[in-house]
Amino acid sequence: MEHRASPGPSASSTLRAFLAEMRGVRRESWGNPLGYLFIAPALILYLVFNFWVLIRGFLMAFTNYRFLVPNSNWSWNGLRNYELMLRDRFFAASLIISAKYIVMVLPSIIILALVVALMIHQVPRGAGFFRWLVYLPVILPISVSMLMWQQLYNSKYGYIDSLLRDLGVANPPDWLGDAHYALASIALASVWRSFGFPTLLFLVGLYNISKDLYEAASIDGASGIQQLWHITLPLLRPTFALVLVLQIGLLYGTQEVLLLTNGGPADATKTVGFYIYSVAFSEGDLRLGYAAAMSLVVGLFMSIFTALTLRVLRGEPA
Amino acid sequence: MMADTLTSVQLAGRAHARRHWIQIALSYIPLIVVSLLILVPLIWMVSTSFKGRQEFYSATASLIPLHPTLINYRYVLTQLGYLPIYLRNSFIVTVSTVVLVSLLSALAGYAFARLRFRGRDLIFLALVLSIFIPNVGGLMSLYELMSFLGLRNSLIGLILYFSSALPVPIFIMRQGFLSVPRELEESALVDGAGWLRVFWSVALPIAFNALVLVMILTFVGVWGDFLVTFILVDQDLNMTISVGAQKVLVMPYATTITPGFAGLFTTEAANAAVLLLASAPVVLVYLVLQRWFMRGLTEGALKF
Repeated sequence: MEHRASPGPSASSTLRAFLAEMRGVRRESWGNPLGYLFIAPALILYLVFNFWVLIRGFLMAFTNYRFLVPNSNWSWNGLRNYELMLRDRFFAASLIISAKYIVMVLPSIIILALVVALMIHQVPRGAGFFRWLVYLPVILPISVSMLMWQQLYNSKYGYIDSLLRDLGVANPPDWLGDAHYALASIALASVWRSFGFPTLLFLVGLYNISKDLYEAASIDGASGIQQLWHITLPLLRPTFALVLVLQIGLLYGTQEVLLLTNGGPADATKTVGFYIYSVAFSEGDLRLGYAAAMSLVVGLFMSIFTALTLRVLRGEPA
Repeated sequence: MMADTLTSVQLAGRAHARRHWIQIALSYIPLIVVSLLILVPLIWMVSTSFKGRQEFYSATASLIPLHPTLINYRYVLTQLGYLPIYLRNSFIVTVSTVVLVSLLSALAGYAFARLRFRGRDLIFLALVLSIFIPNVGGLMSLYELMSFLGLRNSLIGLILYFSSALPVPIFIMRQGFLSVPRELEESALVDGAGWLRVFWSVALPIAFNALVLVMILTFVGVWGDFLVTFILVDQDLNMTISVGAQKVLVMPYATTITPGFAGLFTTEAANAAVLLLASAPVVLVYLVLQRWFMRGLTEGALKF
């Protein structure tokens, strides 16, 4: 099988097919009307609760919609939200916190996932068990894993600090209660929860690399490290791209923060996702419009990141 | 006597085999370390949930409960009035969504794979395309829509919203149906069966793997959803366990005043029991259907 760990239908190829189909559709015959009947229930549900939400979310980003202010749903305000954002120092602060957070989380996830995948790949037996185990944290409800970590971090009876005290540390830190450690502690919990999926992706990438390449390399006298550097890693490039694109959303950190620290201590963990959440759903007159605008800007950041990643690592015009 | 008869080549071979064996054993060590890092927090949670008050407060934290007790489970299931409601709501929402998504995505996936009608491919491509559009502001507009429809704080609202995430399930089902041999369906059609009948009794059983994958993905996703439920639901009566787990956290004074339980359990251990109950269904499904999980995830994920 050809090495192929990249996602099947890419956005660009789907778009091209879609545009081609738009021209072709007029020549199609009506065909079997039963088809419409079969897709109608799914399509209606999708259009109302998914597609509309998508469109409206975009439109809302240009309004001053405040949930508690009656009839403000469609109060267009052009680019005012974005002017406001430039001067909103809480937004800037939350972006910086999110940047720190993603810098802690993303490289850790990638390195851990790659190393664990390489390890699972080379054991002669039991790979299935380890794959199962690595994915276990991913399927746990996020609230369960985060609340579990909250208990582990508990400074009085949490396992981590109990263990540290047993090891002779006199005053182990209050992980979530201390502004120095809180963000890193959330990052650790998040890595624990999230690295399983990238590990599986790397494993699939590894399984797809032909053994002949390694055999040829060993005959030529390449060492294990050289093989890793010159064969494995270059051929895993599409997987790196996929992992980066799939995990960049972690920068929001909304759920992790809501569950672990609620933004504290001293605003040290107000990630951008949490800030958007609080503007929309817990502060003042619930400024849904402004929150949508902020999430549009973050979404734009992420799209640019995705496009660049795909271009650099997969060599495709994204 | 035996050793005398061994040639030097055999001896060398034995030494080699031993070294090889040691090498294999060594290759497992880092993996075992990683496994422990994954498992220790979980084991700690499980073991805490079986610890009584005395053991919980003992000076050294042991990973295995020495005097296991069910007091925490008894407490959370009998004394926390909303916990059974949260669990029930989670079951209702998850099962309904799984049924709805399976049915709708199977029907649509079949139509996209097999029936010919105008605009079929156009609609399908539009659905696939929508997967790539970032859902910005989606939470805010969902909140508006659900308020408008009067479906905030309602299980039906949750079910409808979760069931509308159909592009990926439809994609998976279509792939499943495409792999069904056409001849099988055609011969059934020739025999006079209608499309609905062919879909239900010929194609669907063969595309069963795809259906199971859709069900698993939906089950795990919906049971574990936190953010959407957290935003849409603020009344205990309509809350699911993944959001309720945080709210149910036992009040510290409960450990000293609850009749029959006073002085026997701790808040932390009771919380651990709640978390265990909240994760049991997905872990169970994961244990039973792991084969499908692995195949589906690695295949399914790479299709996107």
